[in-house]
Amino acid sequence: MNPIKTFLHHLFVPHQGNNYRAKALHIDFLTYYLLFALFLTFGFKILYAKSGDILGFATDITVDKLYQLTNSVRQQNQLPTLTFNEQLASAAQRKASDMFAKNYWSHYGPDGATPWDFILSSGYRYEFAGENLAKNFLFSQGVVDAWMNSSSHKDNILKRDYTEVGFAVLNGVLNGEETTLVVEMFGKPLSTPIAQERLTLEQPETLPNTVEAESPVTENKPVIQQPAILAQKTSPQSKNVGQISFNSSLIFLTFLFLAIILDFYFATKLHIIRITGKNLAHLIFIGFIFVGLLLLTKGSVL
Amino acid sequence: MKHLVIHIQKELKKNLFDYLLLITAGTLFLISLNIFKGERLLEFIILFIFISFYIVWGIYHHIIEDSLHLKTVVEYILIAFTLLFLLKIIILPG
Repeated sequence: MNPIKTFLHHLFVPHQGNNYRAKALHIDFLTYYLLFALFLTFGFKILYAKSGDILGFATDITVDKLYQLTNSVRQQNQLPTLTFNEQLASAAQRKASDMFAKNYWSHYGPDGATPWDFILSSGYRYEFAGENLAKNFLFSQGVVDAWMNSSSHKDNILKRDYTEVGFAVLNGVLNGEETTLVVEMFGKPLSTPIAQERLTLEQPETLPNTVEAESPVTENKPVIQQPAILAQKTSPQSKNVGQISFNSSLIFLTFLFLAIILDFYFATKLHIIRITGKNLAHLIFIGFIFVGLLLLTKGSVL
Repeated sequence: MKHLVIHIQKELKKNLFDYLLLITAGTLFLISLNIFKGERLLEFIILFIFISFYIVWGIYHHIIEDSLHLKTVVEYILIAFTLLFLLKIIILPG
């Protein structure tokens, strides 16, 4: 048997050489795992501190990825892609900041501020506009998936009338919980000469009303409730750390699960009787932890 | 695989109450996690309670089976706390 096979056999298969218990599940190895987990815990803590992220919450949501996923979904539905618009992004950023400042999770502020107020105040004049919100998600894919699973948000993403989009991902404390907010704002700018002319003639009071009356305002206020995301222009470094920490946990859980399964399988096949913890109980326990880990990646949409 | 299935069936039949208790606790753990989603400190407390329960469950189960050994207790503690720290990285990384 070549050295690698011997090593794997010793690591995962119970036999006389490892006292009839997979070496990967011996007390000394389990102690190494605990030390490794502690090392990761404190290692990531230091990395977060260095990344300047004051919030203790790891997410891997980026504007680029959200933009890419949104356009990808539109392309799959034979719709034209959206152009990134800085004014809409600015409106989204200010909306997210306003939600943290005034502590609300809604399309409308406690002072009556609407999404359209943020869009108009950013200098964007629209024919159609809409907004999607999300919080407590860990990954960009999770945010877009959640929106696509909600009919109102899906309608917004797949609305043919929209031509532009802007995003904001902001970290903060909302209702006492550290979270990441994602704001996605859609729009179609006023383009007809008549509309532009009216705009230049400055009718500030009527213009927003007129525009809102023409645009499907109610449809444009789909707020998704799901996991929220930490938003505060999360630095690329902290985003990578979030992804790495999640993947590390997932890989380790899979390794442990595999080691127990193999030990369990060979021990029952070889009718080995020994004094150890119950493999079946370990598997059930790890299974629940695994599902819990997946639950933690879910947020809410509005 | 046949041996494994037979062994699991025997084990569940022999300790039905214990495993039902474990599965119930696990289900409550997931429900609680879902209810308090986003509240990071509460999520960690829920996780800690489930981890502690698992260790106590292990000790109780082996006492009932008359197979309690220090090595076994240490095994439950090491596995439980390793997973606790791994999930802490996700829940409370800072």
